[in-house]
Amino acid sequence: MLVAHRNLTKEKTRLALSIGGVALAIMLVLILDGFQVGMYQQITSYLEHSPGSVVVAQDGVSNLLGATSLLPPGATSRVQEIEGVAKAVPILSQFVILDLHGKKQPAYLVGYSPELGGGPWEIVEGRQPRTDEEMVFDRVLARRHEIGVGDEVKVIDRTYRIVGLSSGTTSWMTSFFFLRKSAVEDLFRAPGATSFLLVEVQEGKSSEAVRDRISGLQGVEALLKSAMEANDSRLFARFFSAPVRLMAGIAFLIGVLVVGLVIYTATVERQREYGVLKALGARNRVLYGVVVVQAFWAALAGAALGILLAQGARLAIMSARPQFLIILEADMAGRAIVIGLGMGLLAALAPARAVAGLAPAEVFRR
Amino acid sequence: MMRLAVRNLFQNRMRLLISVGGVALALMLILSLDAIVSWIEQRVAAYIEASGADVWVSQEGVRNLHMASSSLPADRVDEVAAVPGVESVTPILYVTNVVAMGEERAIAYIIGLPEGAQAGGPWNLVAGEVDPGPEGAVIDQGIAEKSGIGLGDHVEILGRAFEVVGLSGGTSTFTNSIAFIRGQDFSDLRANPGVVSFVLVRVEGGASATEVATRIEAEVEGVTAQTREAFAAQERQVVRDMSTDLLTIMNSVGFLIGLAVMGLTVYTSTLLRRGEHGVLKALGAQNRDLYLSVGLQALVSVGLGLAVGLAFTLLLGAVVPRLVSNLGLRVSLPSVGKAAIASVVFAVAAALLPIRQIHRLDPAMVFRGK
Repeated sequence: MLVAHRNLTKEKTRLALSIGGVALAIMLVLILDGFQVGMYQQITSYLEHSPGSVVVAQDGVSNLLGATSLLPPGATSRVQEIEGVAKAVPILSQFVILDLHGKKQPAYLVGYSPELGGGPWEIVEGRQPRTDEEMVFDRVLARRHEIGVGDEVKVIDRTYRIVGLSSGTTSWMTSFFFLRKSAVEDLFRAPGATSFLLVEVQEGKSSEAVRDRISGLQGVEALLKSAMEANDSRLFARFFSAPVRLMAGIAFLIGVLVVGLVIYTATVERQREYGVLKALGARNRVLYGVVVVQAFWAALAGAALGILLAQGARLAIMSARPQFLIILEADMAGRAIVIGLGMGLLAALAPARAVAGLAPAEVFRR
Repeated sequence: MMRLAVRNLFQNRMRLLISVGGVALALMLILSLDAIVSWIEQRVAAYIEASGADVWVSQEGVRNLHMASSSLPADRVDEVAAVPGVESVTPILYVTNVVAMGEERAIAYIIGLPEGAQAGGPWNLVAGEVDPGPEGAVIDQGIAEKSGIGLGDHVEILGRAFEVVGLSGGTSTFTNSIAFIRGQDFSDLRANPGVVSFVLVRVEGGASATEVATRIEAEVEGVTAQTREAFAAQERQVVRDMSTDLLTIMNSVGFLIGLAVMGLTVYTSTLLRRGEHGVLKALGAQNRDLYLSVGLQALVSVGLGLAVGLAFTLLLGAVVPRLVSNLGLRVSLPSVGKAAIASVVFAVAAALLPIRQIHRLDPAMVFRGK
């Protein structure tokens, strides 16, 4: 233990660089993880805050953001008549690409009736739209493009005046904005069209039973709101998990190499001392222990610093780019330490080989 | 000094392997994310580029296909056809929806084609018919294979069963695939008659697509007309604008990691060669000779790291599409240039780190056995 400690701390710059390298790798893994968690929260945020517990979509459509849904004519009144339905809130929604200051900004447009609900759940400035020429815009997106209440935004071929700014409606990929449903019908040249119904269930009635009853109607698909949220998360996970896993995998390998390089160099540098230990009767097991203990401490210190760095980077990124939500959960810290120790163990393999291959007589030949 | 630097570098293969590997991985962070975004950029416009249309006409203000919606009154089709220089017009209906294959559901652009479409249909038919025909569908081969669907099987689109009559290749992107059905079936199901999404225009031989597009915008009310190239560029811009911030963050982290790895490598190497450097100093070598030796080692290491990182990214580009159907990598020249610049910065910064160590090196230490 003493030999390991001395080897590791003899060169302070080397130790600092190695801990820094592992910390950066751990930070990257944590930020990527946190980014994914934040993204799932952002994309399900509308459904979480919308009224009702059952969502009715066009037959075959099982998520809000992945596909455009258009309910068959008359679906709203047929759903209203179903036993157990207290209220069916219609929305007409669709992704659109906004051209804001020469930048393409995908945004999710929700057409809703302010008197029924389904619109922004927290207006931080201004009010709900009263006419078809007014809109509620996402606060973060508005700030990024230096627009605010009273400004005009062009959506496809119409222009709308911002009368309210909403909070909690942003994500790095897309933000939500809101118009009156009649305005969206006009914009999409689809009079009377409805994409989804947000269904409130009568008190004491089961959401599952209401969902099953609605599913019996032709041309519609009814899902529990929680199921639709899960479908949206799964959909986005399918798009993003592969690149994120690839990046995290590379970061892990970097961590292994950094610790490996440090311990290997420290081992090679002290080869003669290891030879003396062997000549004095120390078994390979003891020498492996020395190597592993060094790798363990370097990786552990790196992981701890990595957690702190990730927290700092998270705050810095979210402050500079508020559209990114990075959530670091408590269990991630534990996972980071396990990952760091995994890096340490793997990194100890090469130096352990160097020690194992050492001939005790080597020391006397020099 | 050059020989000494190279010899020092290659004498300990394990350390060289680790340092080159570290730099290569850090550069891979930069290269691979760039390559993923570049691949998405290329694929996102695949349908537009292969559509066979010279000009795309959409609802005024609609300049994209992906994540966009366009609705044109059907009478605009004849108005566009009457514009001088227009050879043929193909109205298509378009929506992003799902293709349900048993329990599997895949997001797809659903394209409604008129009978005898001159443009906008499947461009690389692998099996079956190009024309979906009534209640028929042409779907992406990869998506079909994944779900065990073949010709003659049924899939559900827009809530109705369609028979798979054709399988197309190259119609799958990062986010979705493309499915083709008859325009009539499409409008029956969407209950929105009298509306088309886009009009795909072929211009007469010798006519300029740009001029025809300008003429269409001037003569037909409420439309936006773009050449195929301009429309595809708008599509790619969406991906670029969406990924800029993400790329900046990831590139910065990759850059910092590369700096740390390279700094560590050169520093530890200099540390190990302290004795040797002492001998050189005792023999009359100047500090600048030693700096040169360290700098050369750093440069060769990052050069090798860049080559290995690039090779591995290219390898990933070959392997990943076989493992993940909706993901690929396309390494672009500007991205390699960026990685090369980062490499030079790594080398310079890493070579600066042990300067103090070399400067303070006492030639007499070698005689003291240190």
